[in-house]
Amino acid sequence: MKRTSKDSQCKLPDNTALKQQQLPAYQLQLSATGVLSGFFATGVFCLGVGIILILSAKSIKEIEIKYTEICGNCAKLREDATNFDKECTCSIPFYLSETMQGNVYMYYKLYGFYQNLYRYILSRSNSQLVGTDLKDVGNCAPFSKSHDGTPIAPCGAIANSIFNDTIILSYNLNSSIPIKVPMLRSGITWWTDKYVKFQNPSSINLSSAFAGTTKPPSWAKPVYELDEEDPGNNGFLNDDFIVWMRTAAFPTFKKLYRRLNRIQYFTEGLPAGNYSFNITYNFPVTRFRGEKSVVLSTLTWSGGSSLFLGLAYTVTGAVTWLASFSMMAVHLLLKDRKMLFIQQ
Amino acid sequence: MLSVFCSGEVVCEPPNNKLDRFSGTLYWKESKFPLSNQNMLLRGCVLRNTEWCFGLVVFAGPDTKLMQNSGRTKFKRTSIDRLMNTLVLWIFGFLVCMGVILAIGNAIWEHEVGMRFQAYLPWDEAVDSAFFSGFLSFWSYIIILNTVVPISLYVSVEVIRLGHSYFINWDKKMFCMKKRTPAEARTTTLNEELGQVEYVFSDKTGTLTQNIMVFSKCSISGRSYGDVLDVLGHKAELGQKPEPVDFSFNPLADNKFLFWDPTLLEAVKMGDPHTHEFFRLLSLCHTVMSEEKNEGELYYKAQSPDEGALVTAARNFGFVFRSRTPKTITVHEMGTAVTYQLLAILDFNNIRKRMSVIVRNPEGRIRLYCKGADTILLDRLHPCPQELLSTTTDHLNEYAGEGLRTLVLAYKDLDEEYYGEWAQRRLRASLARDSREDRLASVYEEVESDMVLLGATAIEDKLQQGVPETIALLTLANIKIWVLTGDKQETAVNIGYSCKMLTDDMTEVFIVTGHTVLEVREELRKAREKMLDSPHAVGNGFTCSEKRSARLTSVLEAVAGEYALVINGHSLAHALEADMELEFLETACACKAVICCRVTPLQKAQVVELVKKHKKAVTLAIGDGANDVSMIKTAHIGVGISGQEGIQAVLASDYSFSQFKFLQRLLLVHGRWSYLRMCKFLCYFFYKNFAFTMVHFWFGFFCGFSAQTVYDQYFITLYNIVYTSLPVLAMGVFDQDVPEQRSMEYPKLYEPGQLNLLFNKREFFICIAQGIYTSVLMFFIPYGVFAEATRDDGTQLADYQSFAVTVATSLVIVVSVQIGLDTGYWTAINHFFIWGSLAIYFAILFAMHSNGLFDMFPNQFRFVGNAQNTLAQPTVWLTITLTTVVCIMPVVAFRFLKLSLKPDLSDTVRYTQLVRKKQKAQHRCLRRVGRTSSRRSGYAFSHQEGFGELIMSGKNMRLSSLALASFTTRSSSSWIESLRRKKSDSAGSPSGGADKPLKG
Repeated sequence: MKRTSKDSQCKLPDNTALKQQQLPAYQLQLSATGVLSGFFATGVFCLGVGIILILSAKSIKEIEIKYTEICGNCAKLREDATNFDKECTCSIPFYLSETMQGNVYMYYKLYGFYQNLYRYILSRSNSQLVGTDLKDVGNCAPFSKSHDGTPIAPCGAIANSIFNDTIILSYNLNSSIPIKVPMLRSGITWWTDKYVKFQNPSSINLSSAFAGTTKPPSWAKPVYELDEEDPGNNGFLNDDFIVWMRTAAFPTFKKLYRRLNRIQYFTEGLPAGNYSFNITYNFPVTRFRGEKSVVLSTLTWSGGSSLFLGLAYTVTGAVTWLASFSMMAVHLLLKDRKMLFIQQ
Repeated sequence: MLSVFCSGEVVCEPPNNKLDRFSGTLYWKESKFPLSNQNMLLRGCVLRNTEWCFGLVVFAGPDTKLMQNSGRTKFKRTSIDRLMNTLVLWIFGFLVCMGVILAIGNAIWEHEVGMRFQAYLPWDEAVDSAFFSGFLSFWSYIIILNTVVPISLYVSVEVIRLGHSYFINWDKKMFCMKKRTPAEARTTTLNEELGQVEYVFSDKTGTLTQNIMVFSKCSISGRSYGDVLDVLGHKAELGQKPEPVDFSFNPLADNKFLFWDPTLLEAVKMGDPHTHEFFRLLSLCHTVMSEEKNEGELYYKAQSPDEGALVTAARNFGFVFRSRTPKTITVHEMGTAVTYQLLAILDFNNIRKRMSVIVRNPEGRIRLYCKGADTILLDRLHPCPQELLSTTTDHLNEYAGEGLRTLVLAYKDLDEEYYGEWAQRRLRASLARDSREDRLASVYEEVESDMVLLGATAIEDKLQQGVPETIALLTLANIKIWVLTGDKQETAVNIGYSCKMLTDDMTEVFIVTGHTVLEVREELRKAREKMLDSPHAVGNGFTCSEKRSARLTSVLEAVAGEYALVINGHSLAHALEADMELEFLETACACKAVICCRVTPLQKAQVVELVKKHKKAVTLAIGDGANDVSMIKTAHIGVGISGQEGIQAVLASDYSFSQFKFLQRLLLVHGRWSYLRMCKFLCYFFYKNFAFTMVHFWFGFFCGFSAQTVYDQYFITLYNIVYTSLPVLAMGVFDQDVPEQRSMEYPKLYEPGQLNLLFNKREFFICIAQGIYTSVLMFFIPYGVFAEATRDDGTQLADYQSFAVTVATSLVIVVSVQIGLDTGYWTAINHFFIWGSLAIYFAILFAMHSNGLFDMFPNQFRFVGNAQNTLAQPTVWLTITLTTVVCIMPVVAFRFLKLSLKPDLSDTVRYTQLVRKKQKAQHRCLRRVGRTSSRRSGYAFSHQEGFGELIMSGKNMRLSSLALASFTTRSSSSWIESLRRKKSDSAGSPSGGADKPLKG
């Protein structure tokens, strides 16, 4: 009874727009003009972007050479892991019929290499790679420690499986002496990777900084000896290493290897002519039925070749237009009927 | 005395739910006393005007008849809830299927590829075979893909329902000013079901009616009084009533009595003999008891409220019924006390439909006064001027047309001789052993003939405000209304007419009153046959909408023509038996209106249960008293009218408010919106979770089924909680398709809810399909782009982290655009949440990928620098744009085409509104057509037989009139004593209350 007496004194609910569900609002209405003009505009936009993308993708010069089969003997050699110390080189001549204008980028491309496996992606130690805690190998299984228990630096499956072929591009100016095409190995990483994510442990020199750790099992040299030419390109800051550590999303991927240094003959890009790749074949791919290739490519404003995007945009634009025309037809046919209803 | 009683013993029937029956025997002091229902006080009765009584508790607690009548309390859930549970189970099955597919994929992959890949990634030590790896991957995928099973759905649904409940509580238009009570949603779990109601079961008294009778019009010797007239004598418009008639000349007048026609009072004051005789009859011919606490403060205790109304009317017009004894009636006629000798009361019963008194006035003349149903009385009149008869008949028709209940009044002079002889015969008849009733009836019949017509009265059984309009509107919304009442058939039918449930346009009103199974079955069969035989039955096309036809359970529902069914409690008992209930249901459902009268609380619940069980429709029960509790509990939704009758109904109910008319708002506005919002919410929720999760499935085929997620783990955690929850909640709480006035104007808008069109398995699969479609595009478009492309500085674009950010960003944008499309009603809150969610996504993305967090926790925030590097790429943005366009455009196109080709009513209403806004045309109004009505006499109204006898015997004088359901026979004592005692009795309200359990 107490309750009713309390209730009876209830006061009138507030007359606010919120409580009375009278909030001012915009009613979304799919009006014919709105929808149709939106569709036409989208169609125009998609077609435009699509054509631009296709044109720019067409302007890209790209050359890809698969060298797993060409260097078949090396591939066979590497299939047996015990031959790791035997060097195997392979030279692949090719003819460039057109000049590659502008910046030219050299990629290595792997087929069927799964950098996106769950355990593979996890198998790294960011705190080690940032140089703060070399001994932190907690996430690195199955390559965290060597048999004698020393922590591996850099630890983990990603680091262990680094792509370690050496690819040198030579230009045969006049079929006699090949000229080594000047290549830059810097500027192939993200700024944040190079300056934030990867840091060498601080010490007088690198080899002492990495004291107490051991190299990954598949590596020939320790991490502080990766680049013998440029001492600044060693340890965790090695560009190739950083590039490899940014794992690919799909089993087929290409990673930037070198950039053309546009000096001497190459200020305009790569001139047409005879070239050859001299490859030191270290990275075994036939074991998992994979393939390797080397790619030379130029770029446009939007990056590398993306014919897919251009095509997709064009198709979308075309379909949108088609749809808008048919919708317009339907709308015009039914307009009379609709007006009839309102008059009722 | 009690201590003496210790040795007594009661042998009686076991506890049961029959309110009107009890049999037992009391053994005390070696003698036997029969115990019947007359000796029982039921739990919940209020004993009035009695200081004390001795009692013996026969049944207590759950054994009492009231408790036996209350149904079990069941946990109520909405149909959407049940559907949701089924769907969640299905989704779970789907999840397991996906897990199995991916696990098999993993086993094959590990066998074909993974085994050779071991140089780079050896298997875990525990994993010794591809098969075991697949097994582990199954569980990993179950964990990753568990976001398809929407756990946060349940929480969000509850939040939305809570919001809707608050809207009901806050609704000013459901606030009763008079009682200062707001509507109250007492549960927060049933809101959307309010939008799906198909059957409303209503109590009568207190729910449809106010249980107040008002003397509203009368016709005296051919002249009608009581029309509200303005100064010029024209009938006044509704709403602008002039001042009520001033009764100040009469010190005994009841101030609460209002009358609007001053001419009647003038006629009384002028001393018009007919008018005087008219009111004299009203003050004499009744079974009302009076009670006078102080001089001039009269209280009438009427067994039926309409008798009370008549006597009160006479009182105010100067014929004050003052007191009665078994042999006399004292009336103040225009200020002078006149005592009539009461010779006989010819009591009311259902067959006679009239009552008479025979009195001797102080001059010694004997006169019989009679009032009764017009159909009966008009046949028993002395041939009088045809003109008077026809005018009175016209008046009666007019009154009935207004929904008033009419009585005809007549008198007859008897000479002393005849009376003496008649009294002898009556005495003989009343002493007869066999067929006493019949003999008495024929004696009564004889004297009640050749009477002189005095006039007619019209009593208004005050309906609650807006009841006919509400019922009309609900009927238009395809809601079937069944009235279940404890009242008598006549009463119930009458109310059925006055609240426009029954109309004279109806083809036929079937009345089932059979006492045996066979009779009831026969009556139901006949009713069905008639419906099928009627000339315009079945297949007229326009009578039933095409949508409905799919749900027809029998031909009968397609019957054209309007029928109504009235069924009595005792017939209902048979009709509800297992072998007949389907027949009954079929017949009842084919009728436009169903009235069940004289039903017990349990029967009310059984009827509700029957419809619930066989029709698969949502039922709503509305009532105000304790007798409605079981029905309220049984129905899908119980609504309690918080009013005079206590709070039991309210306590058992799911929603409560104080006026029946609020039901239309509760259903058509709140219920409809709730349903709409909930359906839209569910569709979107399943869509967004599938779009989100299925991407992992596609990615599985590219990552060796290794259970690698596409997104960053933080994104997975926050997606459902932060990025996408609030906009859809805002939609679920605030969305409106058409403004509230429109849902009242176009009751058909309610239909999608009843047909369950907005969220069902089909809709669910459409949502799921849309979600999967989105997830396919969400994965394969970025895949197609990333597979070949490089960044604009030549570095690799297709790294895992960039891909993750791209897919996540396009997902958030696509689902945000989708919710934007789904939101029909963009309030500031929706804007805030939708734009806010997008902003929050980017803010958190950049924060998570910032250098600062990485420096602190390098192993936890692995995506450092990703946001700024990835989102700076034009290719990435072009990909996101393309994904959005491809995901959204088909949806827009589909909706637009649906709008053009097959618009919903709500679409049309919205569109029309848009056009109308420009044209400023006037709105369609609900039609109000004057109804021609058949006459219905109201004397049957809530009146019971036996009161005349009681009064004449003087028995009830002591007991103080009307606590009669619990009437117990006591040794009679002199009425004088009772009068003396009455003065000291506590005041009771003028209307009886002890018979509550049976009251409708």
